[in-house]
Amino acid sequence: MLTTIEKLIFILLVAFFVGFLALRGFWGIYKIVRQGRPAPALKNIPQRMLAAVVQVGLQQTIFRSRPWLSVFHAFIFFGFSYYFLVNVTDLLEGFAPGFELVYGGRALAAAPTGLVNLFNLVADILSVLTLLGMIVFLVRRFISRDQRLRFNEGVLLNPRVQAGGVARDSLIVGGFILLHVGSRFLGQALRLAEHGAPDPFMPFASLTANLFGGLSPAALDAGIHTTWWLAIGLIVLFFPYFVVSKHIHLMVAPINLGLAKQNPRGQLDDASPPGSDIQPGAANLLDLAWPRLLDAYACIMCNRCNDVCPAHSLGSVLSPAAVEVNKRYLINQNFAALAGGSAPPLSLIEHVISPQAVWSCTTCYACVRVCPVGNEPMADIVDIRRSLLIQGDGLDSGVQTALESLSKNGNWFGQGKRARPKWSKALDIEIKDAGKEAVDYLWFVGDTASFDSRVTPLTQAFARILHHAGVDFGILGQAESNAGNDVRRMGEEGLFEQLMENNLKAFSASTFERIVTTDPHSLNTLRNEYRWNGNRRQVIHYSSLLLQLFESGRLQVTQPLSAYVATYHDPCYLGRYNGEYQAVRKLLQHLGVALHEMPRNCENSFCCGGGGHIWMGETPPGERPAENRIREAVTTLTAHAGEGKQENWLFVVSCPKDLIMFSDAVKTTANDGAIQVIDLIQLVEQATGLDKA
Amino acid sequence: MNIVVALKQIPSMADELPLNAQGSNLDFDEVDFVLNEFDEHALEQAVLVKEKSGGAVTALGVDLIEALDDVLYTALAKGADKAIKIVGDFEPGADSHTQAAWLAAVIRDLSPDLVLTGVQAANDLDGQIGPMLAAHLDLPYVGVVTGLEVAQGVAKVHKEFAGGVVADIEVDLPCVAGIQAAAKPPRYAPISKIRQIAKTAQIAEAEAAAAGPDAGVTLRRMAKPVATGRADMLAGDAKQVAAKIIDILTERGLL
Amino acid sequence: MSNDILVIAEHLDGRIADISFEMVGKARELAAALGGQVIVLALGSGLQAQAGGFASHTTLYLDDPLLAHYNPQAYQQVIAALAAAHSPRLIMLGYTSIGMDVAAWLSVKTGRPCIAYVNDIAVEQDAIVTRSQLYGGKMSAESATRADSLIVTLMAGAFAADAGRGATPIQPIAAPVPLAGLRTRFTGLLKPEAGDVDITTQEKLVAVGRGVGGEDGVALATELAEALGAVVAASRPVTDAGWLPKTRQVGKSGLTVRPKLYLMLGISGAPEHLEGMKDAELIIAINSDENAPIFNVAHYGATQDLFEVAEALLEAL
Repeated sequence: MLTTIEKLIFILLVAFFVGFLALRGFWGIYKIVRQGRPAPALKNIPQRMLAAVVQVGLQQTIFRSRPWLSVFHAFIFFGFSYYFLVNVTDLLEGFAPGFELVYGGRALAAAPTGLVNLFNLVADILSVLTLLGMIVFLVRRFISRDQRLRFNEGVLLNPRVQAGGVARDSLIVGGFILLHVGSRFLGQALRLAEHGAPDPFMPFASLTANLFGGLSPAALDAGIHTTWWLAIGLIVLFFPYFVVSKHIHLMVAPINLGLAKQNPRGQLDDASPPGSDIQPGAANLLDLAWPRLLDAYACIMCNRCNDVCPAHSLGSVLSPAAVEVNKRYLINQNFAALAGGSAPPLSLIEHVISPQAVWSCTTCYACVRVCPVGNEPMADIVDIRRSLLIQGDGLDSGVQTALESLSKNGNWFGQGKRARPKWSKALDIEIKDAGKEAVDYLWFVGDTASFDSRVTPLTQAFARILHHAGVDFGILGQAESNAGNDVRRMGEEGLFEQLMENNLKAFSASTFERIVTTDPHSLNTLRNEYRWNGNRRQVIHYSSLLLQLFESGRLQVTQPLSAYVATYHDPCYLGRYNGEYQAVRKLLQHLGVALHEMPRNCENSFCCGGGGHIWMGETPPGERPAENRIREAVTTLTAHAGEGKQENWLFVVSCPKDLIMFSDAVKTTANDGAIQVIDLIQLVEQATGLDKA
Repeated sequence: MNIVVALKQIPSMADELPLNAQGSNLDFDEVDFVLNEFDEHALEQAVLVKEKSGGAVTALGVDLIEALDDVLYTALAKGADKAIKIVGDFEPGADSHTQAAWLAAVIRDLSPDLVLTGVQAANDLDGQIGPMLAAHLDLPYVGVVTGLEVAQGVAKVHKEFAGGVVADIEVDLPCVAGIQAAAKPPRYAPISKIRQIAKTAQIAEAEAAAAGPDAGVTLRRMAKPVATGRADMLAGDAKQVAAKIIDILTERGLL
Repeated sequence: MSNDILVIAEHLDGRIADISFEMVGKARELAAALGGQVIVLALGSGLQAQAGGFASHTTLYLDDPLLAHYNPQAYQQVIAALAAAHSPRLIMLGYTSIGMDVAAWLSVKTGRPCIAYVNDIAVEQDAIVTRSQLYGGKMSAESATRADSLIVTLMAGAFAADAGRGATPIQPIAAPVPLAGLRTRFTGLLKPEAGDVDITTQEKLVAVGRGVGGEDGVALATELAEALGAVVAASRPVTDAGWLPKTRQVGKSGLTVRPKLYLMLGISGAPEHLEGMKDAELIIAINSDENAPIFNVAHYGATQDLFEVAEALLEAL
């Protein structure tokens, strides 16, 4: 089809734009990403890559949120994937004389007609769906102006992003897709018009061909050439733009998913590569681990992470999306220098995320969980915190006070070590000291349950329940230290190490079979981060133990709690981080509590705003995450139970920090009396009649 | 500028303070020791002076209960350049006079330009260490200092009085100052930095001078203070307490 | 050695401080028991009239322009010289910014024992017995000394000032040591800026301590104060941390207040703080530590989470 001159031009264009410009760009990206710090070694890469391809092929990760938009994304994705094949046939159409696939490939002698017809049908439909998807995306961005594509006031943004860079990029990419797919589609329609008959296996192209009925053969031929160039030539021209565009996500996202974190969600990477003398944490761009640099290339800037971020969704200056977007624009701006290894240090808090935003993160993992391309903006934030802590500048005074108390006293309550088991002294039962006598279960109590006067009655109640059920258990008493989960996530790696060593020492001085904890935060780090050195113990949450005790008959429900109308909040560190959703739900069923799920449940649970964040002396004004959550609960229960029967509405929690955060939020949202925040322990106490004993 | 900071560890008041069997003092086996909080300010002020006017900071303390190393490593992490501990066979309850004599003996050999220490410690029964150091070293002393700058051989200090009144006082160097509060809140020393320093830094040791002078004070009895009055305790949960408070205020016409 | 008691008077900004009268009052009592006299030493400039107002046996007054304001070295040296000249059985100073500079120095220089933080002192069978509040007021220590001469620093407000007021004519003295060429020099006095509010003139104060945790806690207290028609005050750790300006600080190094209502959130009641507020008409203390010394001073108390009570109060108002 193409003239010799056209063929020559095409080959020269491919050589220059793809063979030189684009390859040079991709090589540059590779060199930049390689300059990131080492990350934990990856295993089974081929299998992981294959799994990622399947994940992407099924669009699994993208359907985690925004279902309707995800459908349109799937249109474009399947269209584009299919177009790899289509483009090959287009090339053949251009270069092989007489090659044409319309009408089942009748122009070709040995064409398998059925297969060609199927190919044509799918191409025809997917072309239309891709165009539809792309139009929906463009309308959403430029006409209906979806607010979710915007950033909150005060979010640090690269000046080019501030000036509308992402929108411009989107317009170019969108325009390219419309032109590319549209031209190919029109090209096929023109061919049908040239032949003068519809192809039943190309229904949309046939319909469109009717528009060209009146054109002269010369005009049709010119149209076929033009659309070929707009479809295929355009790709060649567009190739180098991939290097700067967010559209490169279509290549990097599968790679990023294939190379994604392999250790448990609840295990942070080391602050500096093991055995190295490098300053812990990340101050400058190239202090980040290489996967964090790759993240910036995988990001399509969809802001789904912003939607689920407890900080951004409530108006904070923190945007996990902006972390990736800013990194990408920063790399683009310094591309040649970075690729050449001659870039000056590029400060992350200057260019990527403001210190205020760094400290606004609750490390709830929602952004990482929701990201369709496997990015981990939370990991950047923790690494930046680590660096800020080492520099010691601008540390929130509340956080400083907490950290100082943790290093002095092993707890953040400013109380002495010896006061830790004080709650147990007021009990009428004797609690074993696991350091003195062997126990089956070692109960790791945690700070909040040990010291907060609002929680200690529950701590005592749990002791009575275990005692009643005949569980052989003990505590470490004053030898227990804060487990360090939140300390580590505030970036104080050294203090985490110290607390871990203290606890490991206490563990090895005690005799026990397994650990039960009432604190999901402790559970997470004990289970996923402690260096047990071959002495690993099972760590379970108290919900699992309680369920077990009911199932084995050691606890009996004597007063079914059927009068309650309840919803349940999954704690981040039990649910999203450790995948435990069912024990609590089964337990509630056992107790007879009618459970009504909030829209955001299980993996998609919404952080209470606690964690190490609870230490902040200064938090921004506006609605707090826990308040938002209480409103969600009230709305949920209202939908199920109607107004006016609120005295038995429950907000069930299974984390001591939740109890505090949500009890406060019930008051600050004026829902006092409308809904009661209650811990599983209290429900078990009621159902077993132990509260009256 | 040669700056010395004298540090003192005292029983932690985060815990309940246990008494010994005779009721004559604390049971020192049952308390944790922490750095006197005013000494933390003294250290911060020393580092601030160093950062502004140059020099070196030496952190110094009596290793009363063989637990001073961590305090000194922390001081090094916060910006001290050198650490010295005074070692010997000590009573954990060694009084200020004794500690001051030991400290002064070491400080004298350091020929400091500026000696900083906390203005007081919560267990200074026999008086504060700062003025005692000044007396031993024959240096001028100013206490209750909330800010200090050094220029041309003179320390310019803010000294606080009741009512928030502050006097500007000039003191010729060398001198001793008792710090009430550093010009900025004490900085945070990341544990990883402290641990790094603990691996590499040397803590110099100095033998305590021969038995220090006795303070001449006999502690006869220690007890929780006898309440001269006792508040009427409002029982109930937070809501009930609030309601009672409002009743009291209403009754007194304060609302 | 005599059985006399030497009381070091102090003044600030041209006014003799109450602590001086408090000491003299107590010294009268002790002198009677010891069979000695009360000698007041006042160093000042133009304070003759005020210095004549003590219930002492003798009031020594040294007038010098250089003594218009406190000068550490001048005080140390003059007091040391007079202590040598009079050989008193007891030297009394305030546990104040002045006494804290002088007492322990004098102790080492003259070999006299020293007892600090004293809030009670008595003569028992010819021995002087003191009670000191140690560990932030959490412990009370009873001490005695076998020496025949003792230096004590007394907590401000421990004794009644009125008992020390009288009309003993001053006895001017000459400087026992040269006052020129001292190594400490007074260069100026800074009075607290009026700031946004003057907490000393407020009828109602909501005072916050370390327990508020940070700016957020202070904001909550401020909201509560507004609802009560009160103003927020603070203890030292709060102003040191920069959560509130220094002008809001109550206590030894802050301001002394006597409001009709002093509502305390998370203040344990260290002696330094009590010094500035114990005369408030109504003291209500909320503290989660049932052993906090403040409950020995407050009129009403509750061992509760301060945030919970503050929120409950806000709701109820």
